[in-house]
Amino acid sequence: MSPDTSVERRVIHIISQLVPVKPEAIKPHHRLREDLGMDSVASMELLSMLAEELELDVGVEDVADVHTVAATVALAEAFLAKKKVA
Amino acid sequence: MSVLPHVPTDEVAGPLCAEVTRFAARSIDARAIDRAGAIPAGVLGGLAELGLFGLTLPAAHGGAGCGLLTACQVVAELARFDRSVAVTLGLHLGLGTRGLVAFGTSEQHERYLPSLAAGERLAAFATTEPQAGSDLSNLATRALEAADGSLVVNGRKVFVTNGGLAGLYTLAVATPGLGGRERGQSLVLVERGDAGLTVEAEECKLGLKGSSTTGLVLEDVRLPSSRLLGEPGWAAKGLAHILSWGRTLMSAGCVGTARAALDKVHGQVAHRRQFGKPLAALEVVREQVALLEALTFGMAALVDEVARADDEALLGRSLAAKVYSSESAWRVVDGAIQLHGGLGFIEDTGLAVMLRDVRVTRIFEGANDVLLSHLGAGELTRTKERAPLTGAVGLPLAGLATKADALAAQVEARRQELLARYKVGVFRQPRWMHQLGGACCWREAVDAAVRRAAVSARPEDVARASLLTLRASAEVSRLLEEPAPRDLVEVALSDTLPFPEVRP
Ligand SMILES: Cc1cc2nc3c(=O)[nH]c(=O)nc-3n(C[C@H](O)[C@H](O)[C@H](O)COP(=O)(O)OP(=O)(O)OC[C@H]3O[C@@H](n4cnc5c(N)ncnc54)[C@H](O)[C@@H]3O)c2cc1C
Repeated sequence: MSPDTSVERRVIHIISQLVPVKPEAIKPHHRLREDLGMDSVASMELLSMLAEELELDVGVEDVADVHTVAATVALAEAFLAKKKVA
Repeated sequence: MSVLPHVPTDEVAGPLCAEVTRFAARSIDARAIDRAGAIPAGVLGGLAELGLFGLTLPAAHGGAGCGLLTACQVVAELARFDRSVAVTLGLHLGLGTRGLVAFGTSEQHERYLPSLAAGERLAAFATTEPQAGSDLSNLATRALEAADGSLVVNGRKVFVTNGGLAGLYTLAVATPGLGGRERGQSLVLVERGDAGLTVEAEECKLGLKGSSTTGLVLEDVRLPSSRLLGEPGWAAKGLAHILSWGRTLMSAGCVGTARAALDKVHGQVAHRRQFGKPLAALEVVREQVALLEALTFGMAALVDEVARADDEALLGRSLAAKVYSSESAWRVVDGAIQLHGGLGFIEDTGLAVMLRDVRVTRIFEGANDVLLSHLGAGELTRTKERAPLTGAVGLPLAGLATKADALAAQVEARRQELLARYKVGVFRQPRWMHQLGGACCWREAVDAAVRRAAVSARPEDVARASLLTLRASAEVSRLLEEPAPRDLVEVALSDTLPFPEVRP
């Protein structure tokens, strides 16, 4: 994954809407809960907003192990790739 | 003298509660406390003498080493006599000291626990701020690290229970950068005598008038780094555990309040005669009393189970206990007032103070509507399956178990439907999560009540569990089926209804 993909920018933008952190302060290695202070509902909301924005068909079971910004980006990219194939 | 120091386990609950009852019957006058707006020093001294302030504190530091279950039983018993007293103790044992006990260093334990256990020092807990209530993600009270490693705290906390009495405050504060966490929050211990701390005047409240509620102002309060509690920059981890204790103890208080209201109802309907017979002989009255008993039975069963749960299960289950208990206690006290007729409205009857006291339980420790959405979200991400009651309880309760399982199946069907329809987008549907959370509360109460009835096997308990199950099934059907929340939301949020302008 390139360090600053457009998906990453979108993920970071959504996070900055959910928690009061400036986009430039959000890093891929940040953990949603411990570093960004998002509780379980907020992190689910992030994934939910992302799925809506990118029109991805993501189920709740798919996001169970997503705990970092990078993992969120990876999930979104995987689903985007799936969408292209389909 | 307390029975506590000799038997430092949860086995102590029976004899201890009997002592608490004797003490409370002799010394606690709820109406006097309500009128005075304070708990007499003699009552607090009596609780200390019984060892209650050290109930859940480690034996090595002067406590009794009991668990949450015993604490809940004691708090429920005290709440039968006065809710302010129960809240003062419950807050000390739960939100006030739980963080220190669970996450404190041995140095912190040595410094604070002995005086806290003896009741010489009371504990309080402060997260709420003027601009941060249900949403605690953005605290304005900050602790910044000074060059010498100490922390300098500035900000204001509001609605702090035990605020005017406490000697030790656990505060949640923003600690940007601490522990390498940009947006970190941490827990810090603030002592009453710390320079720069001002305890504000007592709030004038609707109820719980004997319970101290104040604001705290912190102006350049300088704390050594040893005052950090738990992991620097990650308050959320400790907070979840602390809040689960707080919610459970508060639920236990609701059990006590409901029992006290029921006691009054029983006396009233047995003795008050209208239409030539006691009220208790009227069919409609009997039905209403039975329902209040069933609700209370569900509360007691649920709180008892939750208080025995391990720390992990406690996190989620305490949410259901809190919402169900506070909503039910409110209904029970309101129902008790109704069954007393005009007398219910008169202060001397003692129900008015209960109603005022219990009202806040639907708001504090997390407003119920906020917690319901959390419960619903937790249900949607749940990985552990509910154990069916059919087959798990004895034959006499088989029919009841089937009904409880049917209720749970209804909730599960809605959960599956939401997951299939919205996928991960369901977390952007607060109304649906809220609704699912409400259904979960009833399911949890019913499951606990049926299990408790199975253990006790007393016909009256089985009847109460049956009635609760029937009532819960009706409530869940109403909640899940009609009217469709989507339609409701559309009407409620339509522009035809005037609404104050929303300022961004
Ligand atoms: C007597 C008393 C004692 C207290 N003791 C303490 C204490 O010891 N320590 C402490 O830190 N705090 C304490 N509190 C504060 C208490 O926990 C808060 O009042 C409570 O969490 C609600 O926050 P708020 O008052 O800011 O309400 P707000 O957050 O402003 O919410 C107001 C209402 O809006 C609705 N609402 C808000 N968000 C949502 C949502 N997402 N979904 C649906 N509905 C929503 C709810 O109906 C809610 O009741 C106490 C409060 C009182 C009154």
